[in-house]
Amino acid sequence: MILYILRRLVSIAVTFFVVSVLVFLMMHSVPGGPFDGNDMPLSAAVRAKLMAQLGLDQPLHVQYFNYMAGVLRLDFGVPYQSPGETVIGLLSRAWLPSLVLGGLGVLIGAPIGILLGMAAALKRNSWMDYLASGLATLGLTVPVFVISMGLILIFAVWLNWLPASGWGKPERWILPIIAFAAIPLATYARYTRSAMLDTLNKPFVTVLRAKGLSERRIIFQHVLRNSAIPMVTVFLPMFIGTATGSIFVEAMFRVPGLGSYFVSSIQSRDYPLEMALVLMVTLMFCFAYLISDILYALLNPRIRTGGRR
Amino acid sequence: MSVEISETGAPVAAPVYKQRGPLYFAWRRFSSNKAAVSGGIVLVILVAMAVFAPLITKTRYDAQDFLGQALAFPSREFWFGIDDLGRDFFTRIVYGARVSLSIGFIAAACSVLIGIPLGAMAGYFGGRADWIIMRIIELFSVVPPLLAAMLLGAITRGGFATIVLIAALFGWVQVCLLVRAQVKAFREKEFVRAAQALGATPWYIIRRHLIPNSVSPIIVGFVLAIPLAMMLEASLSFLGIGVPPPTPSWGQMINTGMNFMFFYWHLAVFPTAALAITVLATTLFGDGLRDALDPTLKGR
Repeated sequence: MILYILRRLVSIAVTFFVVSVLVFLMMHSVPGGPFDGNDMPLSAAVRAKLMAQLGLDQPLHVQYFNYMAGVLRLDFGVPYQSPGETVIGLLSRAWLPSLVLGGLGVLIGAPIGILLGMAAALKRNSWMDYLASGLATLGLTVPVFVISMGLILIFAVWLNWLPASGWGKPERWILPIIAFAAIPLATYARYTRSAMLDTLNKPFVTVLRAKGLSERRIIFQHVLRNSAIPMVTVFLPMFIGTATGSIFVEAMFRVPGLGSYFVSSIQSRDYPLEMALVLMVTLMFCFAYLISDILYALLNPRIRTGGRR
Repeated sequence: MSVEISETGAPVAAPVYKQRGPLYFAWRRFSSNKAAVSGGIVLVILVAMAVFAPLITKTRYDAQDFLGQALAFPSREFWFGIDDLGRDFFTRIVYGARVSLSIGFIAAACSVLIGIPLGAMAGYFGGRADWIIMRIIELFSVVPPLLAAMLLGAITRGGFATIVLIAALFGWVQVCLLVRAQVKAFREKEFVRAAQALGATPWYIIRRHLIPNSVSPIIVGFVLAIPLAMMLEASLSFLGIGVPPPTPSWGQMINTGMNFMFFYWHLAVFPTAALAITVLATTLFGDGLRDALDPTLKGR
C-alpha cells in the first residue's frame, strides 16, 4: 500500500510538471501581452520598462524556471490585475464565496441525490423512479448556466421571491447553491440508483430474505453498505470540482468568486494568476483522485489484496 | 441492415421459426424505451429544422430588418420576438440549431476518428502503448476542460473550426476508453488467436476483426459525444470566445439575453430552452441507444 502511494505520488509529480509546462507554453502563445490593452495605451519605453521589471523580456524557459522556483517556495507572484496583493492573497479572498456556495451545494445536493436514488431503486418504475431519473438526466445534461438562467427567471423575475444576484446576505445564497447542487444531486441519484439495483440482484440478498431478515435491515445494513463504495469515492473529486467555483454560476449570479478569475486572467494575460489557478486546481484534482483510490482500497478488501499482488 | 430492422420490427407478425438477430432485439429494447424514442424524434425534428432553415423562415439571420421594433415581445408575426439589434429572433434560433448541431456532429465524428485508433492500440498492444495512452487520458482528466478550452480558444481566437477541434480534443477520451475496453475483451478470443496463428498483422486484425466487433460502443461513443460538443460550444460562445457574431449561436444568445432578462425575458428564455431541449434529446437518444445495443452497460 505504501509503495502504491509512493508510486502514485511520483506520477502526480510528473503530471504536475507536464501540465505546468503545457499550460505555460499555451499561456504565452496567446497573442498579445499584459500591457497591450487599448484602454490605457503605454509608450514603447514604458512598456519595455514594465516588461523588464516583471521579467517578461527574458526567454521563455528562463521565465518558466523562475516562476516554478517561486512556486516550490509557495510564492506564486503578484497578479498583474491588482498589484497591491499577492496571488495567494487574491485567491484566498476570492475563494471564500466559491467554497461556501459550491461546498454547500455539494453538501446539500449529494444527500438529496442519495435519497432520491435509493427511493428510485426500491420503488422501481414508480413515479418516484421517474422523478429521480428525470432529475438526474436533467442535471447531468443541461448546462449549468441554463439551469441558473431558469432559476433566476422563475424565482427572481416572475415569482419575485428571491434576489437574483449578489453576495453577502444569506438569502442571496439560495439560488446559486441550488444551481451548484444540480450536478452533485444528479450524479448521486444516478450512481445510487444503479449501485443499489446491482446489489439488490445479488444472491446474498436473496439469502438474507430467505433467512427472514426484515426488509429494513436488509436495505440499511447490507444493501446500502455494499453499494456505498462508489458513492464515497466519487465525493472528493466532485467536491473539488464544485468548490473551486464555476465560471458560469458565478457569472450568472454575479458572485465575486474564483470562477471569474479563470476568465479574466486569460483575457488580461495575467500570467502569474493564471498559472497559479491551473496548478492549484490540477494538484487538488490529483490528490482528490489519489485519496479516493486509497479510500476505495480501504473500503473494499478485495481490491486491497489485489493491489498487493 | 435497415431492411432487416423494418421487416422484423413489425410487432407480433414475425414468423415463429425466423432467426432473430441481435439487431432485432436491440431495436425491440430501443423502441420500448419511451424516453429514448421521444429523444430521437425531437432530434430528427431539430436536424430537419437545421437543414431546411431557409425554407422555415424567410428572413435572413443577420438582417436587421426590424430595427424600429427592436426588443419587441413575441407576437403572431414574430413568434419569438425581435432581438436587441432588430433581428427576427425565431430566425436566429432556427439558424442557431445549424451551428449547434453541425458542431456537435462534426466534433463527434472527429472524436471517433481520434478515439478508435488510440483505443484499439491501447487495448490490443497493452503494455507500453497502453501505459502512454492512459497517462495522456489521465492528463485530460485532471485539467479542467473548460480552462484548457478557453486557453486554446484565446490562442486561436475562436471560430467554427477551432471549436470543433477543441471539442474533438476533449471528446475522444470517452470513445477511446469504450473501444479499449471492447478490444481488450476480444483480444483473447479464439478467432483473434486463429487470425494471429495464420500470420495476420496486428493492424489487419484490428481493422478486420476488432473494430467491426466494437461497432456498438463506437456508435454509443459517437452519439454521446454530440451533446458534450454542443455544450462546449455553447459554453465557449457564452463566454464570448466561441463562434463569432453575427453567426447565431445559442450560447452567445444566452449571454446577450442575460443582460436583458429582467425586462425582455424572451431574449433569455428561447435560446435557453432551445439549448436545453437539444442537449436533453440527444442525451436521451444516446442513452437509449447504449442500453439497447449493450444491455450490460445499463445505468453506467
